[in-house]
Amino acid sequence: MLKPAQTTANTEANAVFRGAAMPWFFLLPSLLILAVFIYLPALQTLRLAAYKANLILGTERFVGLQNVTELLLSPAYRQVALQTLIFMVLTVTLGLLFSLGLAWLASRPVRGSKYYRLLLIYPYALSPAIAGTLWLFMFNPEIGVVNQLLGSLFSVKPRWLDDPILAFGLVVVAAIWKGLAYNIVFYLASIQNLPGDVMQAAEIDGATPAQVFWRVAFPLLTPITFFLVFTNIISALFDSFALTDILTRGGPYFHNAGITTFLVYQLYQDGFVNFKSGVAAAQAALMLVLVAFITFMQFKVGEKRVHYGG
Amino acid sequence: MKKIMLTLALMGTATAQTTVEFWHSFGDAKRTGWIQERADEFNKANPGTKVVPTYKGSYNDSLQATILAARQGKPPALVQIFEVGSQLALDSGVFQPVSSVKNVDFSDYIKPVINYYTIGGKVNSLPFNSSSPVLYYNKDLMKKAGLNANQPPTTFGGMLDACKKIEAAKLGVTCFGMSLNGWFIEQWMAQQGAPLLNNNNGRTARATATNLDSAAARNIFTFFKTLQDNKYYTYTGKLEDWDGSDAIFNNQKVVFHITSTADIGNNGEAAKKAGFQMGIGVLPIPSGTKRNGVVIGGASLWIPKAAPKAQAEGALDFALFMTNTANMASWHKLTGYYPVRQSSIDLLRKQGWFTQTPLQLVAFNQLTRTVPSPATAGGLNGAAIQTRKIIEEGVQKVLSGQSVDAALKEAKARADAALSEYNANFK
Repeated sequence: MLKPAQTTANTEANAVFRGAAMPWFFLLPSLLILAVFIYLPALQTLRLAAYKANLILGTERFVGLQNVTELLLSPAYRQVALQTLIFMVLTVTLGLLFSLGLAWLASRPVRGSKYYRLLLIYPYALSPAIAGTLWLFMFNPEIGVVNQLLGSLFSVKPRWLDDPILAFGLVVVAAIWKGLAYNIVFYLASIQNLPGDVMQAAEIDGATPAQVFWRVAFPLLTPITFFLVFTNIISALFDSFALTDILTRGGPYFHNAGITTFLVYQLYQDGFVNFKSGVAAAQAALMLVLVAFITFMQFKVGEKRVHYGG
Repeated sequence: MKKIMLTLALMGTATAQTTVEFWHSFGDAKRTGWIQERADEFNKANPGTKVVPTYKGSYNDSLQATILAARQGKPPALVQIFEVGSQLALDSGVFQPVSSVKNVDFSDYIKPVINYYTIGGKVNSLPFNSSSPVLYYNKDLMKKAGLNANQPPTTFGGMLDACKKIEAAKLGVTCFGMSLNGWFIEQWMAQQGAPLLNNNNGRTARATATNLDSAAARNIFTFFKTLQDNKYYTYTGKLEDWDGSDAIFNNQKVVFHITSTADIGNNGEAAKKAGFQMGIGVLPIPSGTKRNGVVIGGASLWIPKAAPKAQAEGALDFALFMTNTANMASWHKLTGYYPVRQSSIDLLRKQGWFTQTPLQLVAFNQLTRTVPSPATAGGLNGAAIQTRKIIEEGVQKVLSGQSVDAALKEAKARADAALSEYNANFK
């Protein structure tokens, strides 16, 4: 038992680069690729953010911070930012609660649990575009399955895609549904790795199932929850694109902007539909700030609140 | 990648051959196949030229790709660009007027079609797939509602009267269900002889404002207000949802539908499958106005400036071959797009096409009877993609209960702002 450990220590001690240039030499290929595909475009974007530019015309006019101030003062952009925030909070909290619940149920020793798990995981295999199309068909107010059912049972036909509240709700639910599978996979794996003796001890000591879940299991699941919160935030911010594009096209128009237009979709519209590259670059810069803030919070919260056990 | 390798290989072996890259936006097998067949025929007849058609994504994507390729000096020789992108393509400075590549006789092209693409006296691009909106109606449902199925409404007033009868008949269907699309609003402006944009629809000088405060625009918005107040109108709720509205019509949930003539074929088949008789009528227009005709919609073929002379000429030759009399007639039969040449129409007539498919005749008359004017030549505007959406959102606000005045005022302010933002690029 001791010997192999010692050898590992020895090799590790010997594994020191001679000279400072060597590690950089080995890093060079990755750095080059990162530079060409990540760093340079990012810098270009920051530069472009200071210009009024049109992709098709190839025009560029330096305006300094005007793009950013215009965005921050624009009621439309503010509304989009607020909508994105609400969307993010709703999809992340509801999505995680729901997946944790489902994963907990699916991990119970019941007959056919394997099939339940399979069915729960399958939406993950669908591309967002397919998912969007499915939802669009289901919620077509005249011929969709949902309204045909509601129509025959309660004789109501909700306007899912042009009533602002319903459309927003629909996109939230669709996004949660789309994210469920991913979250459930992680939760299922973690639940199955929970230390059985601790749970049994709690049960022997007379804890109710609810107490076992909230007092024992849930704290033990904080590391994975923490990981999922941040992956879900990022996917709410960036991956909502295909779903909204196909399901609602960012509409319906409400107040100053389309109610399901989120930051990424707005950026896409300005940059690649209306070809206003400068304004789009400024939005990208603002989103960069947002991501930097989220990452900062991730480390900050991660240090304090998460129970890593051991 | 494969394409590039292929091109490289070809350049290596057959140096005498000119390769003409043709980028288009038809993703479906039917249309892509038709284009490939024409290219094969052309290549066989012209051994010196090799036309390579490629599907390059949506109109928006291929416009972008062309501009970026042109900046690097490697543009395709021929590109299909949608009509709302015309001013943008023109302003990009990347393209040359087709009439300057070689002398072409454009007299055979249908007037309203060639008018759209003639700017400053020059034909900038060659019309290819053109269409206009028509009224689709469900004859069976009309009969059930006690309406004359051979006389569809031709005006807004006529539509509303028919809607009243349909409601009274309690068929459990809605009267009217087209997709909410700025293209139709543009058409209704043209029908009333009203330019959508100032400076003669942006044709005498750059457009600086929209005419959304005109009586013509008010007529259109008021129509939607009346439809909404009486619950005569339905759509999926998503803007520009062509497929969604087609599906609602084909499932017999509405009696009337408006969409492009290019869908006569597909919707006709769907109607047959669903077991109802479909009729086609002229685009209904505001009551009490003279019918001025339609603006053509669709796309045209552009040739980049940076294409070498041999390529540019090859591209134009191919474009002219693809849109020649016989080919345009076959294109029309396959897709329902207008044959853009007078001689093709004559050919179709001689073949008895219009007696076999009387539905298509309505669409034709609508186009050929168009009165040439700046209004029916269509609006030119570099921010057209954006202003079209703004107008759609304006109508959507009316449908959600806003007053016509407020919706028009807001739409005008937003569209005008988009125009001046675009125009600021040229300061």
